[in-house]
Amino acid sequence: MTLVQPSRLTMGRYQHSILGVLAALAGLGIVLAILLPLRPHVSIVIPALLFVLPALAGVVVGGSIAGVVGALGGFLFYDYFFLPPYNTLTVRSPQNWVALFVYLVVVLVVAQVVAQLRRAREEALRRTEETRRLYELSQALIGDLNLAQLQTHIVDTVQGVFAPRWTALVLPAGGRGALAPGEVLQVAASAGLPLAEADIAGLTTGGGHARSLGLTDGSEPRRVSVALAVGDHPVGLLVLQDVELVGRERSLLGTFANQAALALDRAELSEQALRSRLLEEIDRWRSALMGAASHDLRTPLASIKTAVSSLRQVGTQLGPADRSELLELIELQSDRLARLVTNLLDMTRIEAGALELRPIAVAFDELVHEALTSLEGIIGPGRVVVEGPTDLPLLHIDHVLIGQVLANVLENADRLSPDDSVIRVTGRVAPGSGSTQIEIAVSDDGPGIGREERERVFEMFSQNGGGGRAGLGLAIAKAFVEAHGGLIWIDPDIARGARVIFTVPAEAPVPAPV
Amino acid sequence: MTKVLVVDDDPSLLKALRIGLTARGDEVVLAHTGAEAVTQVALATPDLVILDLGLPDVDGIEVTRRIREFSEVPILVLSAYGDERRKVEVLDAGADDFVTKPFGMAELEARLRVALRHRTARHGDSDEAAQTLQVGDLQVDLVHHMATYNGAQLQLTAREFELLAYLARHAGKVCTHHMILKDVWGPGYGVESNYVRVYTHRLRKKLGDDDGHLLKTVPGIGYQLVAEDHPSPPTYTGG
Repeated sequence: MTLVQPSRLTMGRYQHSILGVLAALAGLGIVLAILLPLRPHVSIVIPALLFVLPALAGVVVGGSIAGVVGALGGFLFYDYFFLPPYNTLTVRSPQNWVALFVYLVVVLVVAQVVAQLRRAREEALRRTEETRRLYELSQALIGDLNLAQLQTHIVDTVQGVFAPRWTALVLPAGGRGALAPGEVLQVAASAGLPLAEADIAGLTTGGGHARSLGLTDGSEPRRVSVALAVGDHPVGLLVLQDVELVGRERSLLGTFANQAALALDRAELSEQALRSRLLEEIDRWRSALMGAASHDLRTPLASIKTAVSSLRQVGTQLGPADRSELLELIELQSDRLARLVTNLLDMTRIEAGALELRPIAVAFDELVHEALTSLEGIIGPGRVVVEGPTDLPLLHIDHVLIGQVLANVLENADRLSPDDSVIRVTGRVAPGSGSTQIEIAVSDDGPGIGREERERVFEMFSQNGGGGRAGLGLAIAKAFVEAHGGLIWIDPDIARGARVIFTVPAEAPVPAPV
Repeated sequence: MTKVLVVDDDPSLLKALRIGLTARGDEVVLAHTGAEAVTQVALATPDLVILDLGLPDVDGIEVTRRIREFSEVPILVLSAYGDERRKVEVLDAGADDFVTKPFGMAELEARLRVALRHRTARHGDSDEAAQTLQVGDLQVDLVHHMATYNGAQLQLTAREFELLAYLARHAGKVCTHHMILKDVWGPGYGVESNYVRVYTHRLRKKLGDDDGHLLKTVPGIGYQLVAEDHPSPPTYTGG
């Protein structure tokens, strides 16, 4: 035998009646206690009037049954104690018969009227309560929930309102779509007591379609199944175990099921839209990467091939200086190519979530040195000036990746600014970061970057767009900086040249020795 | 000595080209931007321009247009693989030929030779009264609508003759389907590249040029009439 909780809407009806009867009896006792000592001094009309009160108390507290109990009790008490001859039910005078009769009529009529009022009030209350609950249910479906949250919410709400043993939401395993015979079902969410294996098996195998159309399922006693329908076709089932629903509650559950079905349908649609947008985004990113990578890889390749074929074709006509210049060019461009390939691989791995950052404590000037070493031969000595306070906190970074960021930014600055100009690298604590972020800036005397270009230089774009000065370098820098939780941007407040700024985390300060 | 203007924004490629072309015996002038290129064509009057399609300031197509406003200097475009649409555009804008990066010096030199040879040829009969075009062993008589190849007269229909005459007028240049259709078929045409395909096929038959040595196909782009390097090279048979 399972514990069955009565539904909340009907809960308390019997208690109310019993309470009403008790109230009526108590009233009778009180009236009797007051009037009995005064019996010789009061007219027989007074008890008749006062015995109306217990009946009224019964009606008000417990409804018409208690009212009738009160009225009969009053009738008997009046007759027995207050109509001569006393202490018998005999009524001697015809006058007293009239009094007794009038009492009975009055009390029954009054009780009837009060009981009707009471029922009307109860009805109104129940309607208000139902409306409120329905409103709450619908409200729960409007929120900006994702599909999984919504499913949980639906079963939780139903469980809270109808209090069955458990509530289960059964949906086709394949996702969105109408329930069809033979469709594989799954319990998408449940609330209340955990479902037994047998219950799950019973819900998900066979018969789903047939059952979905009826409210109750004959094979399982005390189980209510409601079809979640969008338009005319059911998309899922809401199953409540061990619950008895009275008529009004059924329609409440039905209305809720309709709304839940719509909400589920909508959530699933928006989830699908999100998924396809994400795929599109990945697709776009991939083709941008392919375009940018193919351009950036081909540029050094073109000069390598030209140089090598020159050496092969007209090598004998070349002076020693030209030969060594071509060979040096081949070496430098091969390095550039190798650096790009490494960058690209790291970037792809970052995007795929496969690259793990290995942050260590690195000093700012170590980082600059690392970047400049990787650019040896590309950036001449003395071209880069490094500035930073001596007490600058250490950086907490993956020095390989951030070294590449700095190298890419420097290479860009070098390529775009006059050969004899100076490139400035400055490090400082990022303002407002409370020493948790270090800001590194690279300034050059090049032509600068137009306002509308400032965002775009960090994007991978195909060279066909026309611009194509930044190539992949800054896009890679952005990915690496963002992998560190930092930011990279072009300083908008600069009059001449360009200034690229990026932030990286600082090493947490070591507590001073006590 | 040939004066070659090289335009590219990649300093490494400029350097490699400068050394390679100088060793070949050319005089090399360099430009890093499109604007510089246009100025240099006017000032240095090069015999040929090697122009990168993807320049930082002005697009290579626009540079070609600007140069064509005042100069007929042959323009050899350096393009990236996959740039088919832009190749067609730059050819339509007046470029003569293109090389896809990365390229070897041998390939570049071959293109340079073709461009220069035909420039000389076109230069030779640049007076408007030119009545006969000579492309290698091919002679096109514009007045009498007659063409001879290796001294033998060709039996051509009017349209075939128009096509041959058009290609001969632009010998050495890669002519796009679009250009050929507009000129030979008329302004109402432009996308019917299958017409051109059919007629070039017929022309090749009549020229005995089944392998397309004289009338070259540039896949996906158009056709190019090229006089062969040596007056009568042995043809590679067997294919």
